[in-house]
Amino acid sequence: MADLEIKSVSKSFGSVEVLKDINLKINSGEFVVFVGPSGCGKSTLLRMITGLEAETSGDILIDGKRVNGVDPARRGTAMVFQSYALYPHMTVAENMGFGLKMAGETKAAIRDKVEQAAATLRLEKLLERRPGQLSGGQKQRVAIGRAIVRNPKVFLFDEPLSNLDAELRVQMRAELIELHRRLGTTMIFVTHDQVEAMTLADRIVVMNAGVVQQYGRPLDLYDDPDNRFVGGFIGSPKMNFLEASVAEATPDHVVLDKIAGSDRSLRLPFSGFDRSIKQVAIGIRPEHVSLGAGAADEIPLAVSFAEELGDVTYVHGKLPAGSPVTIRSDKTRYGGKESGNMALDPSGIRLFDPDGRRLRGNGS
Amino acid sequence: MNPTRHLPHYAMILPFAVLFAAFFLYPIVSGFYYSFHDWNAATAPRFVGLANYQSVLSSRDFARAMTNLFNYIVITVPLGIAVAFGLALLVDSFTGAWANFFRSVFFLPVVLPAFLAATIWRWMYAPNFGLVNMVLGWFGVASVNFLNDTGKMLYALIAVDIWVSAGFNMVILLAGLKNIPQDLYEAARLDGASRINQVRYITIPMLSPVLFFVITYGFISALQVFDVPWLLTGSSFTAYGGRRSALLFPVMDMMGRAFGSVHFGEATAYGFILTAIIILVTAAMFALRRWRTPK
Amino acid sequence: MSASAASSTNATTGSAMIADLWTWRILKWVVAICVAIVAVFPIWWMINVVFADPGVPVSINPRLYPTSLHSGLSKIYTILAETEYLRAYFITIAYALLTILGVLFIGSMAAFEFALFEFPGKRVLFGMVMLSLMVPTVVTIIPTYLLVAELGWLNSMQGLVVPGLASAFGLFMLVQFMRSLPMEMIEAARLDGASHFKIYWYIALPLSKNAMVTLAILTFMRTWGNFAWPLIVAPKPEVYTVGQVVGLFNAPYSHQTVDVVMTANLLAVVPPLIFFLIFQRKIVEGIAMSGTKG
Repeated sequence: MADLEIKSVSKSFGSVEVLKDINLKINSGEFVVFVGPSGCGKSTLLRMITGLEAETSGDILIDGKRVNGVDPARRGTAMVFQSYALYPHMTVAENMGFGLKMAGETKAAIRDKVEQAAATLRLEKLLERRPGQLSGGQKQRVAIGRAIVRNPKVFLFDEPLSNLDAELRVQMRAELIELHRRLGTTMIFVTHDQVEAMTLADRIVVMNAGVVQQYGRPLDLYDDPDNRFVGGFIGSPKMNFLEASVAEATPDHVVLDKIAGSDRSLRLPFSGFDRSIKQVAIGIRPEHVSLGAGAADEIPLAVSFAEELGDVTYVHGKLPAGSPVTIRSDKTRYGGKESGNMALDPSGIRLFDPDGRRLRGNGS
Repeated sequence: MNPTRHLPHYAMILPFAVLFAAFFLYPIVSGFYYSFHDWNAATAPRFVGLANYQSVLSSRDFARAMTNLFNYIVITVPLGIAVAFGLALLVDSFTGAWANFFRSVFFLPVVLPAFLAATIWRWMYAPNFGLVNMVLGWFGVASVNFLNDTGKMLYALIAVDIWVSAGFNMVILLAGLKNIPQDLYEAARLDGASRINQVRYITIPMLSPVLFFVITYGFISALQVFDVPWLLTGSSFTAYGGRRSALLFPVMDMMGRAFGSVHFGEATAYGFILTAIIILVTAAMFALRRWRTPK
Repeated sequence: MSASAASSTNATTGSAMIADLWTWRILKWVVAICVAIVAVFPIWWMINVVFADPGVPVSINPRLYPTSLHSGLSKIYTILAETEYLRAYFITIAYALLTILGVLFIGSMAAFEFALFEFPGKRVLFGMVMLSLMVPTVVTIIPTYLLVAELGWLNSMQGLVVPGLASAFGLFMLVQFMRSLPMEMIEAARLDGASHFKIYWYIALPLSKNAMVTLAILTFMRTWGNFAWPLIVAPKPEVYTVGQVVGLFNAPYSHQTVDVVMTANLLAVVPPLIFFLIFQRKIVEGIAMSGTKG
């Protein structure tokens, strides 16, 4: 196991800049997930760590040693591909042993290591089969086994669960967590699914358009997003965003009005609000919004439809300005109302400036 | 960027690239060079400018060969493809094991080396006791001297040619036929189209890219015909082309000038002239297709 | 067309349709069988001529079926034992095998690169090779002969084999196939520490077996039947290929009788025929594929 440092790494393909000045430090033994929408650069970053792509500028260090330009097989990394990339003409044992064979190990040594890895992944009975005879989950495990056998310092996963059906995915997630616990190796996992990120990661790197949006523990990202993108990306259903104007800003509070096109206003304790900001977006998660009884500071909404799942109800509506909102209610059922008011729980409010940056104030 | 990182790629393509350069690119260039020289391999080459080209183009043999070629092509290409197309339709009308059987049987002559087909047919064409004449004899037809009667030799050649190559084109056309969706035929039948009309309005248009390929390839190989006429006439470098050069063809003429009369300059010039003709024909085919395509 | 009118038309043309169906059926079988006879008969005739007593004239035995096993076998034996035929056989087999090995090996190495990787000059090079497919052999055959002569390779195995090794058609076929190999698998092999050549050897090559076998068969057919090239490059009788030997028997001044000539032919046809009978599906599919893609 080793720590990994990415220093000011950028990558362009021709004139297209795919990664812009990435800086990350991943500690030894951590399970870090790179997550973001398609095209955000997460896979490219992964491939640069393993050496399949070269960085345009910047350095990558594994265990303190600079690995730029070092042959992919010699970096001490191992990768599990999205399509598993198993060799169809070789048995499972041969697939897992191929890397060792290339490294020149003896047949006996190869057999031992393969059997060990196979035991870890419960593949002992499948060693003589070919990939074509395996199920998706089994192929997945062989791909992991092929990586384990080489005793890497860093494990890399490129969207390995995307090809599995939902039920299998949940099962494999559990197995991966168990694997990490057992091996303790540094693991980097790329996915576009934020649920996977939240369940697997020690820390999450959220990326968008080649830039790291935020890097931190899952719940920290959930509770304390750095910017609008992270707020909207993490958590399902998505965070609601209500546009509002700044009516008044004093050193200890701020008054926002014209919230989501309504005439309601809200007064929030906020120390050190930047007076140059005139418009904000109020970010608030569905669980911090409720259907209210009609108090003065509630915001009117028209209900579009409701999802009643039994234990939880999601009410989807439209606010006066036309923006959508999702309300989550655990205790009260919806009851068929067509319009109503929604109340905001101030503790769930996160403010963002027009550029999407999070407004934190001093000590709030 | 590390420049040597491309080295493995170049190393892998090196054998092919070297051989390609040596045995394809170089010959073209050297052939071009020799075509402007008079050379008989014994003495040094002597520059003669366009003399070789002129002497080829104005020679009687060239005229004869080109005439033969023209007569040969206008019959063998359309006829050959029509036969192949007919065979393809025929095989397509069978299913399962019989379809495979007939496809293999019709394909069999293609598998034979051309020299084999030529020699067998040469003896089958023999006057009086050759098989063909024997069969004609059963029907009361007098023996025909296929390989010596200058009026008949061309047709004898074409028959062998088609026998050898129909199966090849058939296989390609058959694959094309299989790619035509069945529902088109069903829709046409519901519209009242007879089988012949179905072929005319569906099969042929849908097959046109494959037909184009087959026709173009057919022209290109017909223009280079050599093996079969050479063997049918029992030619050698001292005497070739059959009686009164009835089966003299350009490639044969070219080879004769190289290895018979040993005029390598003339022979290479001949090669380029032929290539120019082939390129023209191919270009004409492509132009024809472009002209016909926006229908 | 109203429903009732349609059904009445169907009823009256029903029997006509059935008759029509049967005519087509019979017709197609008749035609197919006739064509099959035409296709196969020359070969059958050749066999009959070989296995017939040459002394019996054609008017009595029109050679429609084999009549004398003994006569045929003795002719075969004579040709193999008393002429250079056997040597020509070996030469041709060696020629074919070496060509196949060379084309497959050299072609697959190059195809591996062209199909899966990028490097400077790749497009130009590949374009040139593909263009060469359009260049007719007429323009290269004589200059290539001159080059071979200059290299001192006339009448030698290398003169026969080497010029044909850079097969553009073979390259085309293998590239088409190798393009379908998943890039992730190649990358996995790279991560497994395989050198470039090892990726080719352990991964790409085994997975291309199908295409290679088809190419091998097609190359064999082409080489065995190659007439013009050996004719000019190996004119010395000691190094004749089967094609040339047959041509020798065939020549008017050889004074050979038809049955001896046909025996030579028969022996020459055996390998391609065997290949065909075993591999016919592959051969046919290989050709069909090149036609529909080309």
